[in-house]
Amino acid sequence: MGALDGLMQGFQIAFSLEGLLFVLIGVVTGTLIGMMPGLGPISAIAIMIPVTYGMNPSTALVMMAGVYYGAVFGGSTSSILLNAPGISGTVATSFDGYPMAQRGEAGKALAIAAISSFTGGTVSVVLLMLFAPALAQVAVSFGPPQYFALMLLGLTAISSLSDGSTIKALISATLGFIVATIGIDGQTGTNRFTFGNPNLMEGIDFLVIALGLFAIAEVCFLVLKRKDQSLSNQANIGNLKISKQDFKEMRGPMTRQSFLGFLLGVLPGAGATIASFIGYITEKRIAKKPEEFGKGSVKGLAAPETANNAATSGAFVPLLSLGIPGSGTTAVMLGAFLVLGIQPGPLLVQDHPDVFWGIIASMYIGNVFLLILNLPLIPYIAKILNISRPLLISLVIVFSLIGVYSISFSTFDLYLLLLFGVVGYLMRLLSFPAAPFILAFILGGMMEQAFRQALTASGGSLMVFINDPISVSLLIVSILSFVVPFIRGRKKTQ
Amino acid sequence: MNQKISVFLILFSTGYLYLSFQLKEYPYVPVDSDLVPKALGILLIGLAVLLFFDKSSESDEERKKRVVPKKEILVLVSVGGMIFLYIFLFEGLGFLLTTALFVFFCSWFLGYKKWLSNALVSIIFPSVLYYLFNYLLQIRLPQGLLPF
Repeated sequence: MGALDGLMQGFQIAFSLEGLLFVLIGVVTGTLIGMMPGLGPISAIAIMIPVTYGMNPSTALVMMAGVYYGAVFGGSTSSILLNAPGISGTVATSFDGYPMAQRGEAGKALAIAAISSFTGGTVSVVLLMLFAPALAQVAVSFGPPQYFALMLLGLTAISSLSDGSTIKALISATLGFIVATIGIDGQTGTNRFTFGNPNLMEGIDFLVIALGLFAIAEVCFLVLKRKDQSLSNQANIGNLKISKQDFKEMRGPMTRQSFLGFLLGVLPGAGATIASFIGYITEKRIAKKPEEFGKGSVKGLAAPETANNAATSGAFVPLLSLGIPGSGTTAVMLGAFLVLGIQPGPLLVQDHPDVFWGIIASMYIGNVFLLILNLPLIPYIAKILNISRPLLISLVIVFSLIGVYSISFSTFDLYLLLLFGVVGYLMRLLSFPAAPFILAFILGGMMEQAFRQALTASGGSLMVFINDPISVSLLIVSILSFVVPFIRGRKKTQ
Repeated sequence: MNQKISVFLILFSTGYLYLSFQLKEYPYVPVDSDLVPKALGILLIGLAVLLFFDKSSESDEERKKRVVPKKEILVLVSVGGMIFLYIFLFEGLGFLLTTALFVFFCSWFLGYKKWLSNALVSIIFPSVLYYLFNYLLQIRLPQGLLPF
């Protein structure tokens, strides 16, 4: 099936009444959750997973994709209005967005953000549509050694690229992998680290980890900051109009960052955060008036907003075509796929063209929805920021608990959720990044399986990883990806 | 601080390795279920040792983040306790009752003093969720004491 036929089929799904309705629900809830300080796409996706039970998988995933980029967009709203980025991917947005809002041009800033997001999102969906099936065709020939090497690359890349200490990120990833070894071993049936507890035999559910490490841990910080009154003082956001001059300034960054952001999103480990910072820095470097950056520059706002949305679609390339998430957020998205009984990977385009093309078509529509919704409705949507923090905290806790309960129906998992909430809070307190943990936890089982399958096929010889050009080059890149920052760090301290 | 975390991690991985070596072994399997856990345990010890000698200093921001006033820790522990109680009573009392009580008291405890709107939210929010899950999504949340 050609890309065009596929896309037509996808549009049929997305343009059905049901499809449109769920894209809309996804985008709106994503925006609302993403806007809450501290709650980003990971929490948004995890909270929404239980809602998809019993739904048709393609409709459900169309909605989840909407939640994902809705949440990325929602994050920029709180960055601009409150200087409180919900997630690291929109930190760069606040550099110029918040000064603009302080000047009384919050409306203009939000409009620029909406248009840049729309451009970045739409351009990169076109690229996604071209890239993902091609990559999937290459990946069909991949065997366990190549998959193992690829996943290892994803893990080392996210560890070396996450902010802060690389050692801490690697420890985080190792711990995530260790938690993934709990449960019955799939190949020999051995009970590993279950301590005879039947609840642990199937392993810990990824939702427990995702909601614990992200939503519940974030609740702890919300509790500490509950008296911050900064939430409600931006009631009036001013005019949404953008002048012709502004448009002219936006054009350059929007075009460049759509492509750059997409490429960075495809790379494992990079994602929206890195893309937005790199987008900001490159535009500042090539700008004629770099001194305007940081004081409410139009370019400085358009660049990260385009880049982070482009990267969001880019991150779908490895997820859809290889079945391997490159970031914490896409790792949780993979979990959502698996909950619905769909295994993304090279065969997805062939086996579930409705899902594959449905998601892509929904992204086109979702981007349009985001634009239509956000431009006129922003003053009203921003009112959600007036919700009292104590109330917000209790509601987030309840949502997380029901999310976990509705997949396992056991209170044991709820206690585990509480435990991982404490772990997540302590990790955040001690500057251990949580994204490598969740990525390693989700990749762990798959990596171990690929590793052992490769070794079983080779009769236990490690040469199987070295004899193949693809796996050996991936392994070399993954070793380099954390050795290089180490050496650079050493040099810096000397 | 890094040293303390490192020692904790080494103790943790030693325990994990000990358990890994207890795993049953099967003959004629080229790669047994204990290989990966053993490798992970050793890797973690290695990383913990690196962390122990890691001299890169913390930024002030990181240090400031760690300072949490005693009173606030007490608040966090109380919220944790409330969640614990909520889970403990969840299946016995049922979703509607526990959630309504939890939302009301937790919000009130954290400083939401508008008791009327608090009461309304604590009743409407769980009811909507309960209806959504039990009747639209067919996911049965615990019914508990109430007859519906």
